[in-house]
Amino acid sequence: MTSTIILEQTFNGLQAGVTLFLVAAGLTLILGIMDFVFLAHGAQVMIGAYFAAAITAASGNFYLGILLAIPLTFASGYVLEFLVIRHLYRRDHMEQVLATFGLILFFNELIRIGFGPAALYSDLPPSLSGFVEILPDTPYPAYRLGVIGVGLACALAIHLFVSRTRIGAMVRAGANNPEMTAALGVNIRILFRLIFAAGACFAGVAGMLLGPLTAVQPGMGEPLLILSLVVIIIGGIGSVRGAFIAAIIVGLADTLGRVFLPGLLRLVFDQATADGAGPALASMLVYILMAVVLIFRPTGLFPAKG
Amino acid sequence: MGGLSSVIKLACDGMRDNRLLWALIAGFALFPIYTHFADLPFWNDVAMRIMLLGMAAMGLNLVLGYGGMVSFGHAAFVGIGAYCVAISQVYGISNGWLHLAFAIVACGVAGLVIGYLALRTSGIYFIMITLAFAQMLFFLFVSLEAYGGDDGMSIDRAEFGIIDLYAPLRLYFLIWACLAIVAMVLMFIVRSRFGVTLRAVKSNASRVEAMGLSPLRFKITGYVISAVICGIAGGLFASWQEYVSPDIMHWTRSGELMIIIILGGLGTLAGPLLGAIAFLLLEEFLPVLLGSLAPAYAENWMILFGPLLIMVVLFGRGGLSGMIGRWYAARNAAGKGADRR
Repeated sequence: MTSTIILEQTFNGLQAGVTLFLVAAGLTLILGIMDFVFLAHGAQVMIGAYFAAAITAASGNFYLGILLAIPLTFASGYVLEFLVIRHLYRRDHMEQVLATFGLILFFNELIRIGFGPAALYSDLPPSLSGFVEILPDTPYPAYRLGVIGVGLACALAIHLFVSRTRIGAMVRAGANNPEMTAALGVNIRILFRLIFAAGACFAGVAGMLLGPLTAVQPGMGEPLLILSLVVIIIGGIGSVRGAFIAAIIVGLADTLGRVFLPGLLRLVFDQATADGAGPALASMLVYILMAVVLIFRPTGLFPAKG
Repeated sequence: MGGLSSVIKLACDGMRDNRLLWALIAGFALFPIYTHFADLPFWNDVAMRIMLLGMAAMGLNLVLGYGGMVSFGHAAFVGIGAYCVAISQVYGISNGWLHLAFAIVACGVAGLVIGYLALRTSGIYFIMITLAFAQMLFFLFVSLEAYGGDDGMSIDRAEFGIIDLYAPLRLYFLIWACLAIVAMVLMFIVRSRFGVTLRAVKSNASRVEAMGLSPLRFKITGYVISAVICGIAGGLFASWQEYVSPDIMHWTRSGELMIIIILGGLGTLAGPLLGAIAFLLLEEFLPVLLGSLAPAYAENWMILFGPLLIMVVLFGRGGLSGMIGRWYAARNAAGKGADRR
C-alpha cells in the first residue's frame, strides 16, 4: 500500500520535474549567455497554454491545438525579443527586473481582457484520459505518463542539440564566455534571438502540457517561474545539464515533501507540532534546498562559466 | 559642545542638499489641511499609504541605490514587521511601542541572518537568493494556521499610550513622524563615513578592501539597517490596514518596492518618496483614464502600467528626481546668467 503511494508520488514528482525543466531550459541560457534577468518567462508558459486551449476549443482537436500552438509560441518569443528584449541587454540587472516585471503585468492583463479572468478548463481527448498499469494493480493516469515521456524526449533533444550540433557548440561557448564567442565571429545577437524564441517555445510546451492538469488562467506561469529560477540557481546558471538534474531534484523534493513530510515529522514530534510544522516545512523545502546549495556552492552545482 | 554644533551643522547642510525631500515631508504635514477644506478624507488614506510605501522604499534604497545590492526580497521584512504587530496582539500585547520594538528586533535579526548568508553571493545569484528567502518566509506564514494562514487576520490598531489611533489623523501624524525620523536618520547615514564607504564598496569593493576595510561588514550593516526600516514601515502598515496577510510579503510586493525606487530615482533620498507618490497616483488615475477612453476596460489599467514601466526603464534616466534635478539645474544656470550684477 505505502509502496504504491510512494511509486505514484515519485511519478508525480518526475512529471513536475520534467515540466519544470522545460521552463528552466530556455531560461538558464537566457540568464547564462546574455546575463539577462528575464522574469516574464512565466508569461510564455501562460501564452503557450492559452494558444493551445483556444485552438483546442475552436477545433475540438487536442493534438491540433498543441501542434499549432508550438510555432505560435516560438513566433511570439521571436517578436518579443525583437520588440523589447534586445533593447535591455546592456542595462543593469535591476532595470531588467523592472522592465520584465512590466511585461508580466502587460501579458496577464492582455490575457484577462482577451479571455476573461476566469480559468479555462480543457478536457483530455479520450485516447489520453485512461489509466496505465505501471506495476500490477497500480494504475497511473496515461496523460501524466505521456507528459513525463514528452518532457524526457524534449530534454534528450535539447541535450543532443546543445552537445552534438554546431549551433549547440556556439550556445555552449556563448554561456562560457560571450565576448570571446562574439570575437570569434559568431553572431551572438541572432544566436540569442533564436535561443530566446526556442526557450519561449519550450516554456509554452510546458504550459500546454500542464493545461489539462491544472487551470489555464492569467498568472498561471508565475509559480512555475519562481520554481524554475530556483532550479536554475541550484543547477548553475547557463548549464542545461545542471538545470535538468536540479529540475528533477526540485520536482521530487517538492512533491514528495508535501505528501510525506507531515507523516515523517509525526514520527519525531507529537501530533500537534507535526501537523503545524509539516505543511510549513514542506512548502519551504525547495527554498531551503536552494539556500543550502548557494551557501556551500555559491555558483550552483554545475556552473557553466569556467 | 563642539560635537553638538557640528551635528546641527551637518543637519543644516543635509537639509539644504535635500530640499526636495524635506519639501515633500513638509507637504505631507500640510496635506490634511487641504483634504479637510476640500472635503476629500479618502485622500488622507492614500497619503498614508504613500508615506508607508515611501518609507519601505527608502529602506530598500539604502541597499539598492547606495549599496548596489539588488535585493529582490525586501517585502519579507515589511511582512515580518506587520506580523510582529499581529502576533503580539494574539498574545494580548497591544502596546504599539512594544510592537515597534519587536519589529525592529525581529527585522534586525532576520536581516543579519539573511544578509550574512545572501551576501556570500553576488550578481544574479544575490537577486535570486534574496527572492528565495522571501519566498521561504511567505510560505511559512501561509502555512501558519495559528496566525490566519493564507487568509490572514484582522487586527486592532495598536495603542500608543496617550495617542489614540482611532481618533482622526492620529495615525496619519504617527506615520508622518516616523517618516520624518527615518528620513533624518537616512540623511545622516548617507552623509556619514559609513554611508560614503558603502557607496565606495558599490563602485569598487576590492579597492575598499585594499584600504584595510571589510566590504562585507559594511554591506551587512547596510542590509540590517534597511531591513529594520522596512520592518518599521510594516508594523505601521499593519495598524493602518487593520489586517495582515501573507500577501504583504508576496514577491510582487518586493517588485513594487523596486518599481517605486526606479520610478523616483535610484540612490537619492527624495527618490523613493517621489516614486511612491507617482506609483500610487498612477494606481488611482490610470483606471480613471482608461475608463474614460474605454469604459469596459477600466479594471485592466495594468495594460497601460506594464508598458509604462518598460518606457521608464528605456527612456527615464534617473527617474523623477533625476528629471527634477535636471530641470532645477537648467533653471539655476539660466537664473545665474540673468542676475549677474
